[in-house]
Amino acid sequence: MSDVARPLGGRIFTPGFVVLLALAGVSGVLILVRVFGGVGSITAMTDGYPWGIWKPLNVVTFTGVAAGAYGIGLLCYVLNRGKYHPLVRPAVLVGALGYSLAGFSVLVDLGRWWNAWKLGEFWYFNLNSVLLEVAICVLTYVGVLWVEVTPAILESWQSSRSSRLRRVAAKGLPFMKKAFPFIIALAILLPTMHQSSLGSLYLVAIYKLHPLWLTPLLPLLFLLSCLTMGYGGVIIMDTLLAVAYPTYRRDVKLSASVSKVAAAMLWVYVAIRVADLAWHSRLGLLFTSGWKSFFFWLEIALFVIPALLLGNPHRRRDPGILFRAALLTVMGGSLYRFDTYLVGYDPGPGWSYFPSVNELLVSIGLASAGIAVFVFAAKKFPILSAGPAHGVRKPAQSTP
Amino acid sequence: MKLTRRSLLKGVAAAGAAGAAGAVYRRAEARAKKQPPPDAVAMLFDSTRCIGCRACMEKCKEANDLPPDRVRLDGVPYDAPIDLSGTTKTVIKLYQGSGKTAFMKAQCLHCVDPACVSACMLGALNKREYGVVTYQKNKCVGCRYCQIACAFNVPRFEWNSPAPQIVKCEMCHHRFPEGKGPACAEVCPREAIQFGKLKELRAEAQKRIQDNPWRYHPDVFGDTEVGGTQVLYLSAVPFDKLGLPKVGDEPVPAMGETIQHGIYKGFIAPIALYAVTAYVVVRNVRRGEAEEQEEAARKPGEGEERKP
Repeated sequence: MSDVARPLGGRIFTPGFVVLLALAGVSGVLILVRVFGGVGSITAMTDGYPWGIWKPLNVVTFTGVAAGAYGIGLLCYVLNRGKYHPLVRPAVLVGALGYSLAGFSVLVDLGRWWNAWKLGEFWYFNLNSVLLEVAICVLTYVGVLWVEVTPAILESWQSSRSSRLRRVAAKGLPFMKKAFPFIIALAILLPTMHQSSLGSLYLVAIYKLHPLWLTPLLPLLFLLSCLTMGYGGVIIMDTLLAVAYPTYRRDVKLSASVSKVAAAMLWVYVAIRVADLAWHSRLGLLFTSGWKSFFFWLEIALFVIPALLLGNPHRRRDPGILFRAALLTVMGGSLYRFDTYLVGYDPGPGWSYFPSVNELLVSIGLASAGIAVFVFAAKKFPILSAGPAHGVRKPAQSTP
Repeated sequence: MKLTRRSLLKGVAAAGAAGAAGAVYRRAEARAKKQPPPDAVAMLFDSTRCIGCRACMEKCKEANDLPPDRVRLDGVPYDAPIDLSGTTKTVIKLYQGSGKTAFMKAQCLHCVDPACVSACMLGALNKREYGVVTYQKNKCVGCRYCQIACAFNVPRFEWNSPAPQIVKCEMCHHRFPEGKGPACAEVCPREAIQFGKLKELRAEAQKRIQDNPWRYHPDVFGDTEVGGTQVLYLSAVPFDKLGLPKVGDEPVPAMGETIQHGIYKGFIAPIALYAVTAYVVVRNVRRGEAEEQEEAARKPGEGEERKP
């Protein structure tokens, strides 16, 4: 086992990195416009479609992909499959970044964002509000994810030139090791709660959500889709890192095992989804709901096709097929979530919505910022399983 | 070793199954039907009396300090709102079809069991005195979940304000201390809008239908719809022609609340999941350490470089 995490090393300001920063900068300018001009100044949102594309994309899709931290955590720590350990740190970093961006996006989207601190005034809590549960859970989980990232930073400080940083590392690492199981338990509980609740949010839209998507099982289907998306995201990340960084040590077999779990989850999702529609006698809607039927078929195809591809052991060990299947898996989960939040959501006659360019640019900029921070961190801190790089004096002592 | 792991997994699965079964069982439990407060006030809009003069719209803006919705016609700006918006809390709309015309007054229906109140995180929207659904901006973060939740698309948002608020009819509750009711009811020349006690207006609506059955659609919208509303509608044409959605009698938030409260009842399921996960992880970590020590003892010197 050579799963020692090391910084990738290498130049930070590559041309790609500069492009990412530029895109992030564009979204920064747009966010400034929004602060002074209101949400309507840069978005196409209306009173009929008040959540536009930011909620389904920046929050519900970003955190879905970021749920790789949750999915790998389940495999590695709860089911005790130690072999997944090399994927934990990168998945957790992607998780921390994805969730932080989602949180930041919500802040940009909130009309009265300066009141957000009042979410700490628990005596005002409306315990009937699904969104309150999501908000509190997500905020707490962002904190938990960054705590999970700290061992990597502390390890890099072990070999720091500053004696103060070395002391912090010497004290912090043993503490982290002791607290670890209790942090992991939180890191399992919180996503279970809020990822399911992201589905429950639309249980209130009983007259707006199309019956192909409105079901009491929304929380369960959202939980399953975050796992498929998370596993898909981890495989995509693993592939891209191997392509981009020659020092990154990739274990294709490991990704293939992850994809096997993903395939199982995809089938479970499909079975529950179809059984639920049959139970509610809604199978007829698969053919009679016009373009909504079309989106359903597209969505279910994006679950079935990767499940078929990954079900075959030979195919899933082929890095190309593995990567494509992982892409389809993430697209399927995302489309299910988009369908629930936008395609299947109909506030009534007379309303329509299509995202504005600026709205999309903000999303693209936020994603770029996330990728930039990931690349920076992977180069500077021991996140990834990598070959020896410059600037590391001794192999870092690693905590789980 | 394997056996223990398997038994642990079984334990986790059993806990999960028990939780799920509990949730399903509780889903069957009926959610308590909400009743309007005994002193509930209400408004009755009789579409057959409305002549579409729109004096109510004008008076509403005046009483609530709302700016005009300017529409420029022939170079002249008019206050001509066509729908509810961040500057308009009520609108008169005209339905024409199948040989009949009918006016509709769009506004908040002040549900007995409102979806917006269920959705609102900090209770900015809440049922307060006399059952009126009112808004407190200091508790609002501007998340707009109320807009998703409302089946009638009533709450509106100030999209182009840096300090936006949710705008909706609050039955002029700020005028209650002066002994006044909603401005629109006060100004209506045909008494098409009446303000009063919910019980009395419900009886009044029934009476009108009984007295002139040829004149009215046989139902009063709001008697039972979405668990009852404190704004009642009488009409000559079916209500969906007036732009009211076809809704059932179950309150809009009932399904979501029942499922969520089922899953989270007493917060038992989350605490159990946390405890079981923490226990399993502690066991796994200890087992991993033990295995490592064994291995280190077998191959001295090699163990130190390995990652725990």
